[in-house]
Amino acid sequence: MNLILKKDQLNIVLNAWRQDYEVYAPQSLQNITHFLPLQDGFELALNNAHNTRIPPKALFLPTSEALLKFTRFGGYEQIPSETAPRVIFGVRPCDAHALTMLDTVFEQERYTDPHWQARRDATVIVGLGCHEPCQTGFCTTVGSGPFNHTGLDAILTDLGEIFLVETLTEKGERLFTQLEPSSEDQNTHASQLQQSAADRMPIAFETDGLKQKLDQNFTSPYWEEVSRSCLGCGVCTFLCPTCFCFDIVDEAHRGERVRNWDTCMFRTYSLEASGHNPRPSRVERTRQRLSHKYSYWVDQINQIGCTGCGRCVRYCPVGLDIRAMLRKAHQLPSEVPHA
Amino acid sequence: MPDQAQSPYLPIPMHVLHAYYESTDHSLKTLELSFDDPQDARDFFAAFNPGQFCLLSVIGKGESALGVASAAWEGDFVRFTAQKLGSVTTALHALKPGDPIGMRGPLGNGFPLEGWKGKNLVIIGGGCAFSTLYALTKHLHHPSNRGDYGKLTVIYGTRTSGLCMYKQDIAAWHQRDDMEVHQAIDVPEQDWLHHVGYVPDVVKEVRPSPVNSVAVVCGPPIMTKFTLPALVELGFSPETIFTSLEKRMKCGLGKCGRCNLGPKYICKDGPVFSLAELNALPADL
Repeated sequence: MNLILKKDQLNIVLNAWRQDYEVYAPQSLQNITHFLPLQDGFELALNNAHNTRIPPKALFLPTSEALLKFTRFGGYEQIPSETAPRVIFGVRPCDAHALTMLDTVFEQERYTDPHWQARRDATVIVGLGCHEPCQTGFCTTVGSGPFNHTGLDAILTDLGEIFLVETLTEKGERLFTQLEPSSEDQNTHASQLQQSAADRMPIAFETDGLKQKLDQNFTSPYWEEVSRSCLGCGVCTFLCPTCFCFDIVDEAHRGERVRNWDTCMFRTYSLEASGHNPRPSRVERTRQRLSHKYSYWVDQINQIGCTGCGRCVRYCPVGLDIRAMLRKAHQLPSEVPHA
Repeated sequence: MPDQAQSPYLPIPMHVLHAYYESTDHSLKTLELSFDDPQDARDFFAAFNPGQFCLLSVIGKGESALGVASAAWEGDFVRFTAQKLGSVTTALHALKPGDPIGMRGPLGNGFPLEGWKGKNLVIIGGGCAFSTLYALTKHLHHPSNRGDYGKLTVIYGTRTSGLCMYKQDIAAWHQRDDMEVHQAIDVPEQDWLHHVGYVPDVVKEVRPSPVNSVAVVCGPPIMTKFTLPALVELGFSPETIFTSLEKRMKCGLGKCGRCNLGPKYICKDGPVFSLAELNALPADL
């Protein structure tokens, strides 16, 4: 059932949730919007049409996290992954969709990651649909959308004075027990708005046959061309909601084994102890980043491993644009002629 | 709060049972590790298959992936041979009997032994990558396994005779009547009675028959690169040639992303792949 949440009631609802949950919502910290826990007297930063800089994946896979503690006897012990019940409010559909892709990595049958699982289980995600297309986003191109439901427990549509609330799971329903149902007119208004938001998103590149183009052109000079201006800073991967690579290091001074975000865009990522490096230059590393998202994920889960959030475009310091790179990839020959 | 499932990142507590140099230049050292908890030993051997690897932990230094170099029937210990290269393997070389050490595993798929039953096996190794092939040969030598397989041929090459691992055992293999052993070194040495030359050339010289056979190749990339086509030339089909891959690894569980090869993770989907499988993957090694 769809419900109505008046905007002037929003803070009251959020505060009511704080009785039972830790509530995270977009707030401004030094001019950057982050998902932060709500404190008394909080101020939301929902007005920016675009997304937070750091995707909410960081609330499930922290940038740095201790996995094990050293014991006095030269061994290790597990650090329990306790997570109090929490609500993340205001998650954009692209980011929620991405979490479900990461579930396929961290919740595999054979080796479930207890840290990821505990946080996923303890969390209710309330989405905020995007009624205004964001500038660099391309969600509709890659199978997501501004009001996509995947990974959300409830989704809000901004109707001016009110939010229309659609609860999508039992977890979501339990959050919104006090609200009035919406009218037929309000429902219609919301679905028109949702449709028009999706319609206004341009198709950024052609995805049909894209995987094959990338696979078949593994040794093409294309990779050199598109990686030439790359600085190798890794921001495109750190801020990507579907990137999950991590490093595990022993931090001896604090007696812990720690996992930290890592990136395939760094030389040392694949550098072996023998000195051999399968991806010695930015050419191979750029190929890895694009092929992982647009080919390897497709093999693994039959979905493109990108939800079109547009962060890699927005934050690249040299203006590399994955949309342009993929448009160019589509111009590549279908079969590379043998030399 | 309910008891949490055991973290797959938590190493099994082990102790060093034996530690000894494997090569005359001291670049290779073998460690035999015993389990602190007998239940861990039972769990390990219930899951273990030759060709699998483990991540060894030296506290404060980190983890390093090493292939298992022992067969289950040898006893309640696990053997590894480490080349001293980085910070973890340097720390491994410093360990003495009685020192604590962590181990995660067994990890990966191991050799597809079920599918090889009734076939002749050609085992081809080079350098310290021979460790898992040594485990495989030891496994096959057990009387309850040997009858399941046909002719057994081992070809093992090292740069020098001093770098040859498991010397005593291999010397004894020459005396066995149920296998054929070909050893090789790269350059001639005094008193060397075996082949001199690179492994791919020795394979061409030995000419193992592809009839009802599978070939397993583990070695440095340059050896593998030239041995695989040599086997194809001898008539082995890509489905009957197997190799074990290596890449930098961290988690060993298919999560940290490091060892991906196209849509596969070497740690979780490998490390053993057939040449037919490899041919379908990108050349990202």
